[in-house]
Amino acid sequence: MALNWNNEYYVALEGKDLQANAMAVDITGTYVLLAGRKYFAIRNLDEEVQLVQKFPRQSKYDVGAAEWNPTMHHKELCVISSNQRLEVLTWRKEELAQTHSLKAHTRVITDLNWHQMDPNILASCSVDTFIYIWDLRDSRRPSLSLSAIAEASQVRWNRLSSNLLATSHDGDIKIWDQRKGTAPVQYVAAHLSKIHGLDWSRTSETQFATCSQDNTVKFFDTTNPRKAEYILTTNAPVWRARYTPFGNGLMTVVVPQLRRGENSLLLWNTANRATPMHTFMGHKDVVLEFQWRHKRPGDSCFQLITWSKDQTLLVWKIEPFLQKLCGYEPEDPHEVTSYHNPKENVEKIVRKAVPKVEPLQQEFSLLNVHIPNLEVKSMNFPNRVCSVRACVNRFTVNLEVTFPIAYPHGVPPNFEVKDGSQVDENVANQLLQTLNHLAQQRVSKNRTCLESCLRQMVTTLEQLITDSEADRMYENTIINPENSFGGFNDAYIPFPRTSGAKFCCVDSLICFGRVSHARRLSTKMEIATPRALSALENILAKRSSHQLSISAYYYQKPRSRTQHYSAKPSKVLVHIYDCSGLFLVHKQLAKDYILGGDVATICKHNAAAGAVVGRLDLVQAWALAELVANPQKVDEGDIWAHHPFNSHLMESLISHYSSLNDIQMAAMLCCVFGKQQELLLAMNEKNAKTPKSQAHFKLVPSTFTSSKITKHILHKSSSSPYHTIPPADVIAEGWVFPSLETIKSSSSVDCLWSENTRTIKAPSSNIYEYYKLAYAETLYRWGLLYNRAEVLKHLSWPQEIHKGVEFLCDCKNCIKPSRASSCNSCRKLTLNCIVCHISVRGSANCCIVCGHGGHTIHLLQWFERNDVCPSGCGCKCLIETGNMFGD
Amino acid sequence: MVSLLQSIDTGHEDMIHDAEVDYYGLRLATCSSDNSVKVYDIKNGNTLLDDLKGHFGPVWQVAWGHPKFGNLLASCSYDKKVIIWKETNGKWGKYYEYANHDSSVNSVQFAPAEFGLVLACGSSDGSISILSYIRENNTWDAKKIQNAHAIGCNAVCWSPAIYPEPAFDNNSEHTLKKMLVSGGCDNLVKIWKEEQDRWIEVCKLEVHSDWVRDVAWAPSAGLHRHIIASCSQDRRVIIWSSDDAITWNSTVLHTFDDVIWNVSWSLNGNILAVSGGDNKITLWKQSLEGNWQCISDVGKGSSQINN
Repeated sequence: MALNWNNEYYVALEGKDLQANAMAVDITGTYVLLAGRKYFAIRNLDEEVQLVQKFPRQSKYDVGAAEWNPTMHHKELCVISSNQRLEVLTWRKEELAQTHSLKAHTRVITDLNWHQMDPNILASCSVDTFIYIWDLRDSRRPSLSLSAIAEASQVRWNRLSSNLLATSHDGDIKIWDQRKGTAPVQYVAAHLSKIHGLDWSRTSETQFATCSQDNTVKFFDTTNPRKAEYILTTNAPVWRARYTPFGNGLMTVVVPQLRRGENSLLLWNTANRATPMHTFMGHKDVVLEFQWRHKRPGDSCFQLITWSKDQTLLVWKIEPFLQKLCGYEPEDPHEVTSYHNPKENVEKIVRKAVPKVEPLQQEFSLLNVHIPNLEVKSMNFPNRVCSVRACVNRFTVNLEVTFPIAYPHGVPPNFEVKDGSQVDENVANQLLQTLNHLAQQRVSKNRTCLESCLRQMVTTLEQLITDSEADRMYENTIINPENSFGGFNDAYIPFPRTSGAKFCCVDSLICFGRVSHARRLSTKMEIATPRALSALENILAKRSSHQLSISAYYYQKPRSRTQHYSAKPSKVLVHIYDCSGLFLVHKQLAKDYILGGDVATICKHNAAAGAVVGRLDLVQAWALAELVANPQKVDEGDIWAHHPFNSHLMESLISHYSSLNDIQMAAMLCCVFGKQQELLLAMNEKNAKTPKSQAHFKLVPSTFTSSKITKHILHKSSSSPYHTIPPADVIAEGWVFPSLETIKSSSSVDCLWSENTRTIKAPSSNIYEYYKLAYAETLYRWGLLYNRAEVLKHLSWPQEIHKGVEFLCDCKNCIKPSRASSCNSCRKLTLNCIVCHISVRGSANCCIVCGHGGHTIHLLQWFERNDVCPSGCGCKCLIETGNMFGD
Repeated sequence: MVSLLQSIDTGHEDMIHDAEVDYYGLRLATCSSDNSVKVYDIKNGNTLLDDLKGHFGPVWQVAWGHPKFGNLLASCSYDKKVIIWKETNGKWGKYYEYANHDSSVNSVQFAPAEFGLVLACGSSDGSISILSYIRENNTWDAKKIQNAHAIGCNAVCWSPAIYPEPAFDNNSEHTLKKMLVSGGCDNLVKIWKEEQDRWIEVCKLEVHSDWVRDVAWAPSAGLHRHIIASCSQDRRVIIWSSDDAITWNSTVLHTFDDVIWNVSWSLNGNILAVSGGDNKITLWKQSLEGNWQCISDVGKGSSQINN
């Protein structure tokens, strides 16, 4: 179809002067009636051009509702309501004439509905509280009158059962049987607010949906009217909710009111009511009416026709994937239409009455011959041949299509370009190839293909003319938006990127770009790439190119035409580069490095690993680290480990590697450094307990910059750093300091000292943690989980606390839950082994059903032979626990 | 230094606008003007895993989520929508659709996993949306920074979750502050910060003389400060650095021959990849003295590397 599908819809009609507020689509899907106070308009959707016929209407009332007769028998009839009257119009020979006028209501008519199967029956409801059922064969008075007491806002015939109809009255639904007109057969208190819309299910005669001011759509079943089957909640009052003719979808529009930006239709899958499946955006004002177009055989897409207050009529294509989202799997098109669209039941019956209609004959009769630039010359069913003539600009193609007997069940028709065609061989071959391909695609699903092939032929020829799209595949031109860009907003949308590079993972660089032969389509004025998308439009308009696409901007028209056709569609490539050479972080090293064991072993091993990958600087660094960080030598009296330069050296090593962005080495050194700190700390504590060692004093002065006096005091007093009472000799020496002062300074020194040993690298320690985390992240991306865990063990602050189900032990003495193995308050071990009755330290297991447990090894042994709990509580621990997790 | 690992023929019918590899480097996602998003397995023979259709306009950008939230992919399009796709049992499907922008959505990015499952979207309607997944009731909460950039927002990028905070306390609950950087048609780069459920503008950086096309916040590993790269229609790339994320110093990296569309930092190390309208890619690195040097050109199409 050469229609201008803008993404998912095309504008079928734009009529500012129509002021129509009612719209109806006829059963064949060809005609759309728009009705307003001044005009009726009929739009023929099969015509390419915006062909609209307008008929003036003399009335002082607006049109309330409009509907075409849903049966093929009276497909020419449509009914409108005008204040208290119903007018039945007949559309015949391109003329619209009023044939009946039905008057009985005494107040304004709110809604009307044709009977779904009987072509002569019509129901209407009004503010006067009556619901009338009319028979067109006797239009003087209603054939049946239903008295509802309350005013009715909607009336709907059941789609499957010929006697049932439903009406809505404020928040309630009444269901009537036309054989028993005195009272409703059922009464459903559906909503608390006013019901705006009502629709019967297309598949079940007992189900219907209501939508209301209270922002919900409720689904009821008449067999259980007291409670809604399920409820769909939206964020605005719902004006209409209607079942889709496919799957279990539902389409909604919101209430037209003074809200902005709510002009879209929502498609829901009733099986999944959390979010809409799709939003149809395109109208600039509220949607007044929407209806489904009768599905053409052979067309995989349903079409939705919408009329909005912005006076545009849009035709939306419901793509197969959207149908799929609503739980609909397309089958053979004939079956589908009759099964899912009960409106067509009658039609189907008629068809069946004719004995054995050949599919080809049917296809011929249903073929829409109004294809632009195409003339169907003959359709010969007995010979199974169809010949057409397409004239597109200077191309003329005479095509003959021959249908084998087995067509369309897996056998495609034959296409042949006949004499009298004015195309070169190249074009003809390409055309045939395209047609064969499309035909094969369709018949492989047992679908007919004539109409789509003919349309495809015209499209292909047009495209060959316009000449700018040789880089495309022709398979799905119908879906391809011809104009994907355009609009006033584009001036602010940045010009699309067509090349780029992104670093991903640890060391890959993802690049994409235009192929090297692609040249920019630029005029002399244009030197740099434009900034906004709208520039595309301007430039391409100058070039009189029909295609508004980004590729058209880059690919220029080649001089030679033939060369152009033979050009293969260029490949769109993405390159992945390995950039690991740019970074110092090395995957092999990450695998080889160790962190377990004592510091000397770690450093030696890691130095060797560095040598293997050829990083000699690392060998040196590790050797240095071993020298600095190995606290073993303290015992040997080697003072190097406690030398003031020690920690500075380590720090500067780390900062050197971090400034080189070698996060791996920086993090590894941090871990090793942390290990050394722990050991030092442990040793210092040991020394503190036996204050005879001189070793730790040497640490202190180097880091102190306080006055000599303090230092002196320290020297004197620090023989016992934890004491706050100064030794008598300080005072005895005759220092002028009052004793209190001395005490104070001594204690502060004490604090400093202990702080000092713990966090020598205090200001930068956070950064060290980040190094470890960053390196752990890298390891995680590489999948080196074990190595990552090793690094994370060296974090000084805990990882995030476990959030989720946790099993805690209650202390057997204090009855308080404890996360650790010993109780927080009484410090006793919390769990007693049920087997050996000794407190458990280490690996333990408990039954989560009865709570008994103990040493893992004891329980293993026990459950090898038994299946009940060792406590004797009778719990079958293994089975019950299994059941618990089995759910 | 840089070697071509593989080339993948994406089979897109039109230009592609973005490509990204997932967290582990196993899968590639691409998006194109042909309205589709494609996912490839790049570890086992470059096979097409899925062709995601759901957008009705050119798809501008794709972003992978952290694997701890499942296999998530976000895409944004000219059709004003953001779609989050999820893979379940090998099949990709629509997980969430966000259609609350009034114009083309130009940029999407998932926040670092430490912030939870959060997505930022920048749109030509001038606003930035922050979508957060709420696990309790399985819903998405949308916060919108209205009028973040006059005329339009072109790019958003999250701050790394790991960054040096001066007051770092072992005991106190350390809550990471969510921060964002964005660039737009008002020639500005803006820094945003979440405070008590509201997003406030921390500062705006004004040096670029034309539309800002991309912003990238450097992963701070190994750095003692924040670094942001921004690129613009004015053909310049600017490096912004700061110690406290409030006052920023700018350095012009280079003025290129054509407009610059992309800047991207490497995960480890301070290498920046720059690409733009001239179809070239350059890699930049800061020397120990603080100067920026071009270390290589990655030629496109010909897959040539010129060191």
